[in-house]
Amino acid sequence: MRALHIARKDLLILFKDRGTLVQLLLLPLIFIVVFSGALSAVSAGNESGDGQDTRIPLAVVDLDGSALAQRFVADLDAAGGVRVERRAQDEALALLAERKLPRVLTIPAGFGADLDADRPVTLHLVNHPDADLEQTEAVRLVIEGVAQDLSLEYQILASLEQMAEMQANAPEASQIFSGERMIAQAQSQFERSRTQPLIAVAERVPQIAEREADEFPDAVQLAVPAFTVLFVFLTAQTTARSIYEEKRIGSFRRLLAAPLSKAALLAGKMLPNFVTALIQTAVIFAFGLVGLRLMGLQPLSLGESPGGVILVAAATALCSSGLGILIAALARTETQIGGLSSLILWGAGILGGSFVPLFILERFLGSLPRVVPHYWANRAFENLLIRGLGLSSVTAELGALLVFTALFFAVGLWRFSFD
Amino acid sequence: MAAILDVQNLTKKYGDFEAVKEISFAVEEGEVFGLLGPNGAGKTTTISMLTGVLPPTSGTALIGGYDIRTQMEQAKQLNGLVPQDLALYPTLSARANLDFFGRIYGLRGRALRERVEDVLRIVSLTERADQPIETFSGGMKRRVNIAAGLVHQPKLLFLDEPTVGVDPQSRNHIFESVQRLNRERGMSIIYTSHYMEEVELLCSRAAIIDEGRIIAMDTIKNLIGMLGGGVIYLGLPRVDADLLAQIAALPAVKEALAAEPALPAEGEPAVPRADGAVVKIVAEQNQQALVNVIGWLNAQDIALTSLEILEPNLESVFLHLTGKKLRE
Repeated sequence: MRALHIARKDLLILFKDRGTLVQLLLLPLIFIVVFSGALSAVSAGNESGDGQDTRIPLAVVDLDGSALAQRFVADLDAAGGVRVERRAQDEALALLAERKLPRVLTIPAGFGADLDADRPVTLHLVNHPDADLEQTEAVRLVIEGVAQDLSLEYQILASLEQMAEMQANAPEASQIFSGERMIAQAQSQFERSRTQPLIAVAERVPQIAEREADEFPDAVQLAVPAFTVLFVFLTAQTTARSIYEEKRIGSFRRLLAAPLSKAALLAGKMLPNFVTALIQTAVIFAFGLVGLRLMGLQPLSLGESPGGVILVAAATALCSSGLGILIAALARTETQIGGLSSLILWGAGILGGSFVPLFILERFLGSLPRVVPHYWANRAFENLLIRGLGLSSVTAELGALLVFTALFFAVGLWRFSFD
Repeated sequence: MAAILDVQNLTKKYGDFEAVKEISFAVEEGEVFGLLGPNGAGKTTTISMLTGVLPPTSGTALIGGYDIRTQMEQAKQLNGLVPQDLALYPTLSARANLDFFGRIYGLRGRALRERVEDVLRIVSLTERADQPIETFSGGMKRRVNIAAGLVHQPKLLFLDEPTVGVDPQSRNHIFESVQRLNRERGMSIIYTSHYMEEVELLCSRAAIIDEGRIIAMDTIKNLIGMLGGGVIYLGLPRVDADLLAQIAALPAVKEALAAEPALPAEGEPAVPRADGAVVKIVAEQNQQALVNVIGWLNAQDIALTSLEILEPNLESVFLHLTGKKLRE
């Protein structure tokens, strides 16, 4: 209970310190806006090609290579709305898997021959799971439009050729192919091309493995939790500085002389960090949900498990509080606090995926990022916010954060100098 | 009267360094007891052990009957600590500071509010109670520092160098507050200082502490009485046992000692010093002793090379006992 009074006092002091408040609350928002804005711009740039051509990019793999296939590709490019990029099949699929291409259209081998023989053919449109749905729909409509035109042309021409052949072989049939009959035949072919087109489009979203799915997460979904984790852990130095300041002004002696256990005293110093970290998380997430939308950026999505997000935020805040006690125990001077905080908090932030996505870090650092709590917090948020998984997917991450908390608090208590 | 504090062989070691060496003393209820000594003598370390800030290495103390080694939590309820530092939160108001310190001692609601108002009155800061401490003068901060140690109505108040860096007006105010707390509320007070005049003014008894040891403890009157009527330091070309005996035999002279250099052991020759020697004379009455000694030296044709007269007070007692000045 008395720990609560220490926490209340520390929060009163904190809220009078505008500089610290700016650092804790405003700075993360600036980071998020800058990073999200920049990454979104890059992402948008990727979607619209070179930035001047606003047509939707569409990679086309031509396995046929016939004149008809080439004509189809040319028609597609000329249809407006779609910018065709010819690719080899392997290259296109690799780029698709890496989300460097949002979608790939494959023209099968035998496309031209089948059409010439009036046999139906199927084009394959493969979309990345993260590809923009509206753009995919637009691309599909363009492909179907061009395919339908070509189908119609081929079916009508084929019908007319058939009639001409019949007339040539049986002159008496001229009475049969009257003007009315020919119009009726054309209408019938037109109807058939609509209901049973010669060229069909099959669309699919490949089953991309989880590892691949998280490779190109949305900028906001990545930046908001990553900077939340970074700045929540940065509040740890507030605890260390607060304890140092109490020792410097002598009030720590006064607290030690009060009927208050040492554990309650440290808990009282941890609690403001925990509360501040929760407020910080709430402010950053609220900004991600509302502020980014107001700024015209894509807002944050809380995924399928908002409860899980709250639990991860609480575990991260708790871990940060434990880390604050550890830093206070290890650093004896203000300079040491600054140095140690920079080394531990920024270093662990970089190593733990707050600046560079985990999947990139793990490619060249292997499992090294797992030694810092930031990694587990970032991984938990990625599971919930980027992969859209549920609470059960972050059990290990929550456990790891609690283990780190216990470790930091135990070592901090062991090394803490109450003298 | 019963002892509110009974210290028994209290020791504090840091590795091989003994900061406090087996000190023992007792403080009666309602007494103002002084701990006098230079900086680094061990006063603050002693207080830190008695208030639970530091664990003793050995020995113990009873506060209101509670053993500080086994019943520190109960003992803490009786203690009030006013540390040497301004142990306050500068951005909070005086009232917010006092409210906080009251709460950590378990005060709540109306009782807390009344106690805060009471201590604000004691230190005469009711008018400025809602202003941040950082806007206060040094003396006002010292007064709030004292108020924070009083808010939970301790039975035993530890005042650790409470007047360091304080202007004369605030110092007088602090003296009045201490005297009023003791006189009107019967509060027992341990007052540490290296200002002998403060201890002389406020305390009924004092322990003189140096290098972690209590070297003298008595009432202030008896401590000063150790020097009789004062101390005279005489610079002479030489000193020997015969000379000292003849000076000690003069009227109004209580004792004559070789201050510098020390006399050689019996049977060994005296080693002459180029700058002569210093004889310390403990007088029954300074002025009379001085007249007699100078007359005798003239008669013996012994030249006087220097003269220092110390009036009887705690400063001269400390110098007498340790050979050092309190503020060295």
